[in-house]
Amino acid sequence: MNSPDSSSAEASKETSAGGVAEVTFRHEYGRIVSALVASFGTADVESIEDAAQAALMRALEVWPRKGVPEKPGAWLWVVARRAYIDERRKLGKLELRCEQAAGDRSHSHLDVDGSRARGETPTTFPDELGSPELQRLLLCCDESLPAKTQLVLALKILCGVSTRELALRLMTSADNVQKRLSRGRKALRQAFVASAGGKLPELSNSELGERVPALQHVLYLLFNEGYRSALADKPIRRELCEEAIRLTRELLQSALGNRPSSWALFALMHFHIAQFPAREAGGGAVVLLEEQDRALWEKPSIEAGLRYLQRAIAPEDFSPYHAEAAISAEHCVAERYEDTRWERIVELYELLEKAAPSPFHTLNRAIALSEWRGPEAGLSLLETLNPPSWLSGYYLWDATLGELHRKAGNAKRAVQHLRQAAEGAPTLAERELLEKRMASIKEA
Amino acid sequence: MSKYLFVYRMPQQEKQEQRSPEEMQQMMAQWHAWKEKFSEAILDLGDGLLPTGKILRASGVTDGPFVEAKELLGGYSIVEASDYNAALEVAQGCPMTYAPGFSIEIRELAGF
Repeated sequence: MNSPDSSSAEASKETSAGGVAEVTFRHEYGRIVSALVASFGTADVESIEDAAQAALMRALEVWPRKGVPEKPGAWLWVVARRAYIDERRKLGKLELRCEQAAGDRSHSHLDVDGSRARGETPTTFPDELGSPELQRLLLCCDESLPAKTQLVLALKILCGVSTRELALRLMTSADNVQKRLSRGRKALRQAFVASAGGKLPELSNSELGERVPALQHVLYLLFNEGYRSALADKPIRRELCEEAIRLTRELLQSALGNRPSSWALFALMHFHIAQFPAREAGGGAVVLLEEQDRALWEKPSIEAGLRYLQRAIAPEDFSPYHAEAAISAEHCVAERYEDTRWERIVELYELLEKAAPSPFHTLNRAIALSEWRGPEAGLSLLETLNPPSWLSGYYLWDATLGELHRKAGNAKRAVQHLRQAAEGAPTLAERELLEKRMASIKEA
Repeated sequence: MSKYLFVYRMPQQEKQEQRSPEEMQQMMAQWHAWKEKFSEAILDLGDGLLPTGKILRASGVTDGPFVEAKELLGGYSIVEASDYNAALEVAQGCPMTYAPGFSIEIRELAGF
């Protein structure tokens, strides 16, 4: 295809087109799925996901040879739509409306039997929630589905998070994720079929409003997946965090989503992202808060976070995000680790436990308490806690106990717990960190 | 210097294994890194092959795709190298071997 002479010209054209860096596959994936759902409805979400996947795979084959096209998004969309239509045609389920929606120029014959393009109009939402991607995400936040299923559905369908990653993140099996996915897809299909004329019923403003907390939770988890990745070789995935921030910004720009809890969530994300350079400075291994070089923290992100937290203040609407953001803010404004106002953080964890009861928050409070009042105080709080089996078997439980025992000078128990934690650590980086801690005790 | 034909093969599958967008993005980056690193050796990046095809034999014409084959031809490139070892070095950096079942066959062009 390329003669030797043209290859250098080809290469330079590619660089000027911005190379690969400007195309974010995750972002494109979400956009393609959103757009296909808008055109064809939710009758066959699986084929839509396959089409998005196929388009990206095709890009992988073509772009290295031909260079990245000038409008990669448009290129991918054309390929994905074609793939979806081909797939539906193969299944013998190509409804007339698909032809129509696909913009077939010779569609006059389609009207012969008088059938109009049924269901051509996508699900419609009131303008209050402007962004089409948010609308599609909200579609997944169907309250008739269990929260975890909504989450699986949204993260898989719109964000392309793989089944394996989801299983790790939600601490469940890949089979369980699969089951939730197929149930979720079925519910979407039924909602699509049950609605007259193949259209989904219009969601009212109050229905949409009720779904906002579920949407916030999805965005929160999407961010978390980036912040503490389930991928063994990649402890931080910045692109996921940026995607979550982008979608949260869109939520804030909508009339329904612009509420104090959304601002608190937005603030929280900014505090965390400010610490990324310092967390990553260890060359692959995650650097603990205690050991981070605070000079590397991104000041503008912290300042933005503080501004957003200011906007989130609303005594009548206190969300878990408020508490978490306030805790992160305390860390971010402390000049040095020793300057941290631990008494304030302990208080905030108590508030968090009230807003969203979880033994996990108690675990974190014990850490803060040990910094404030000494390791024994933290340990005695943990002793009063009767952890559910999922927590006592979780590596962070052992990691915390190990760390507190280490600080309290109980070398034997510390090593015991740290070893347990290292065995259960999901990423290599975290295991190395725990092993390092263990080694430091043995040396002492 | 000799020229070598790289023939890319991939497993015949009902359905491709799902990859996350990040994994695909990473593969894209690997392709770029490979192209950059061996820009002098890679004479022609070649092309991909569609899964359709025909075979002409003395007995007649057969239509593809060739279901009896466990591997499909996926594409080809042409590379310049001093010997097989050097060609192998180029091939080893190529992302076409990213998954089990994928292979690169390296054949020296006779130069007739």
